[in-house]
Amino acid sequence: MTRGPQSVSLRGVEKRFGDTVAVAAVDLEVRPGELMVLVGPSGCGKSTLLRLVAGLEEASAGEVWIGGRCVDDVPPGDRDAAMVFQSYALYPHMTVAQNLGFGLRVRGAGRAEIETLVGEVATVLGLSGLLSRRPGQLSGGQRQRVALGRAMVRDPGVFLFDEPLSNLDAGLRLRTRDEIAALHRRLGTTMIFVTHDQVEALSLGERVAVMDRGRVLQVGTPDEIYRRPVDLFVAGFVGSPAINRLTLARNSAGRLTGGPFRLAGIWPFDRATLAVRPEDLALDAPHADFDAAVVRVEVLGSEQRVHLDGPGDAAWVARVPPTLRVAAGDGIGVSVAWERAHLFGPDGWREGSALRPS
Amino acid sequence: MNGPVERARHRRGRTPLPAIAAAATALGLAASLAVAANAVGNARDRATGNDARMAAALWELPGAGAQAVAQFLGNRVAIQAAEAGGRGPGEYGYEAGALDPVVWIAIDPEPASPSWPAGATVPALLAVLLMAAWATRRRHHPPPPRYPATTSILTAALLALVAVAAARWADLELEDLSAAHVSHALDAASIASATGATPATAARVAGLPWATATALDRPDQLWTMPREVARAITALPPDLRAAGAYTIQANGATYHAAHATLPTASGAAPPPTTLHLAFLGYQETAAPTIPLAATTTATILALNLILFLLPLSARPRTLRRTLAAWSFLAPAATLLLLFTFGPLLFSLWISLHEWHLVDPAHPFTGLDNYRDILLDATWWSAIRNTAVFTLHVPAAMAVALALALLTQGSRRAIRWARLALFLPGITSVVAIAVVWKWLLNDGYGVVNQALARVGIGPVAWLTSPDTALPSLMLISVWMVVGYQMVVFQAGLAAIPRDWYDAARVDGAGPLQRFRHITLPGLRHTLFFVLVTSVIGSFQVFGLVYVMTEGGPLGATDVAVYHIYREAWEFLRFGNAAAMSWILFAVVFAATWLHFRLLEGRRDERRAYA
Repeated sequence: MTRGPQSVSLRGVEKRFGDTVAVAAVDLEVRPGELMVLVGPSGCGKSTLLRLVAGLEEASAGEVWIGGRCVDDVPPGDRDAAMVFQSYALYPHMTVAQNLGFGLRVRGAGRAEIETLVGEVATVLGLSGLLSRRPGQLSGGQRQRVALGRAMVRDPGVFLFDEPLSNLDAGLRLRTRDEIAALHRRLGTTMIFVTHDQVEALSLGERVAVMDRGRVLQVGTPDEIYRRPVDLFVAGFVGSPAINRLTLARNSAGRLTGGPFRLAGIWPFDRATLAVRPEDLALDAPHADFDAAVVRVEVLGSEQRVHLDGPGDAAWVARVPPTLRVAAGDGIGVSVAWERAHLFGPDGWREGSALRPS
Repeated sequence: MNGPVERARHRRGRTPLPAIAAAATALGLAASLAVAANAVGNARDRATGNDARMAAALWELPGAGAQAVAQFLGNRVAIQAAEAGGRGPGEYGYEAGALDPVVWIAIDPEPASPSWPAGATVPALLAVLLMAAWATRRRHHPPPPRYPATTSILTAALLALVAVAAARWADLELEDLSAAHVSHALDAASIASATGATPATAARVAGLPWATATALDRPDQLWTMPREVARAITALPPDLRAAGAYTIQANGATYHAAHATLPTASGAAPPPTTLHLAFLGYQETAAPTIPLAATTTATILALNLILFLLPLSARPRTLRRTLAAWSFLAPAATLLLLFTFGPLLFSLWISLHEWHLVDPAHPFTGLDNYRDILLDATWWSAIRNTAVFTLHVPAAMAVALALALLTQGSRRAIRWARLALFLPGITSVVAIAVVWKWLLNDGYGVVNQALARVGIGPVAWLTSPDTALPSLMLISVWMVVGYQMVVFQAGLAAIPRDWYDAARVDGAGPLQRFRHITLPGLRHTLFFVLVTSVIGSFQVFGLVYVMTEGGPLGATDVAVYHIYREAWEFLRFGNAAAMSWILFAVVFAATWLHFRLLEGRRDERRAYA
């Protein structure tokens, strides 16, 4: 069955449920062997997109291509894609071995072949001692590995993960995340991974597709997504604490101003949003862009989060080194790293970076 | 560890249950002894009273008087004439007839020496002491008793022992009393004959409470004593009867009887005959076994209840909750006991008797009813018909499952279809039966009319022994299929969609999904429907009663209908009850078999949890 990793390509794919548009005209290319993460808030259509790839849903418009073949009329089982479900969807009446071998069995593989392949996968995932157990007798992490193994055993060209980590506790989630990354390095298979957790997305994905309301807003490497968000939603969704925002308006002189800021240059719109990441605010710089009162200080060990009574009506947060001495109630001078600040236009698209105050 | 604070805390958390347990045991012991002592005391009272009455009767005999009385009483008592108008100084007195002036005989009996059964007292006192010691000990050692069962068994054994000892003691005492009374009666008889009394007078003198003087070969005249006792006396061999004194077991009690042969007054006619006097001692010579057993059982039950609550007493919250739970359960439990288990056990009782509705006599016949039924071919034919009828269940389930799969979803047409399929299940069986009887009528039935249109000859749906039962089965399928379908749909809805999605991604086709996902997922639903439907099918009655009345030629005579006829047509309730229990056994066995064969292994069941 081995054909190696497959590319996945969505071309203008749309999915409607009645009047509801779940996925709106998505174009997405996943290269062979790539680990692509789909991330977005609940209800953004990322799971539906994955189910469209798997063939569990039929696209209302557009085409799904897997490995250079249009699979719109190919049933899920023949798409060379395997899926890991959030609930794991293990069959409770079957043993671990039967669960692992189910995909092979329904394809009519021989008993010996099934045993060999199941044995191999079980060894890789450390399930060898659990083969005769039933899912009800396994821990959450073990079930997760069985679900993974069920996908692996068929050696598919594409792996589809539908939030496979969300049912695990925090520690196990981190470990499993590393395991999946290691698995991807080892198998080299194309993987599409759906999650609502932006940290998971950035840490795991080679490329990340950020979705909102059925649309893919930005596709890029984690660094691109974080450093150069093309959209205000992306900028706000990625990163924690969230990016600081300030609404600017054009004054009579044609400049965009807001709070203590006045941007250099002429911009072609009346309103805009200035966005600065918390780490791009400095509290100990020689010059200050504005003065603010410290509301609260979160000491996290490796860093401090300083909540500021910032400009405008928004509360601002600065991420500063733990060595800086700052306490609630202090008045402090804040400087902005203007070269890393973003300006988003009224439609949310990024209009400029490397701003300059005037 | 055992500091004063610690101890105080333990003491505060205590409830007095150990003390109550000890008190229950002590009360049980005391009650056992009291029951026995009371029986003996009553017997003594009556013996003394009897003595007084006999003495008074002797007093009245001509030519007797004080000497005869004194002789009768063996000079054990002082006899004195009491003043008129008042009772004598003794404990027992008797107004000796219409003498003038009224004379009271006062008999001062020997003071009865209270003989307390040492054999029972010692262990009883010992037990009370032990329980008290145990209760006190527990006061200082807070961990709750870990072996209430052991304690309860030991105490139960102790109580039983005491009860047996008390019964034995009472038995011996009563035997002595009875024997003494019989010998008194004999004395009275001989004194009466010596003073020339008539046999009737002698009998009156000696005969209380039960005695008669008559020819013993005419038991119908032994009217003063219970029929069974008289029968037992006349059944004795003559040599034993001549022996004088003997005991008779009748009516569940021991009677001490004595005989005296009285010469009749010589005369011309009738010719001299020997009359036998049979004097009976006490009726209550049976030891008070039954009250003793009841006392013991009640005490043991109370003790067990206390010992059940005992481990909870260290946790007053749990104790309170347990008591609250039981008090909430009590009304329902009482109703259940009265109206479910009570009649159930009563029917078991009936089944052991020849119980005809009209005849008030219900002789106990043991297992005869069961034997007769097991040898009765018509009963087995009814069972066979029931079993064949039950074959409609798997057919109905297959149809219902297919319908459940077809009518998934919530479109309007499908919802109407579901409603239509479900309606027969909530319609009265009688209404269904009446309508179908009409539909399937040989001559004018709609079904046969329609078949005739397409050239199929009239089918004898309900009038042929070959087709009647299958017809009923078809109707039954139609009736139950809607209900089963709804249950299956609930079961289908409970199967996670993810399983189907995973199977589809794994490449399983519709048949494989049905085989590997739907069937295993519905396993418990299928089992539930199968068991309840089979049980329901074994109890089929309405259809048969209204449509075929068991006919034709008994082809549709099913078990419950058979039982119904046995009870309400032939009025043989004993048989009917026995049949019900046999049917219960059959259904129980079938259900048990289902569980064994279908319910599978434990871990598999857990896997669904």
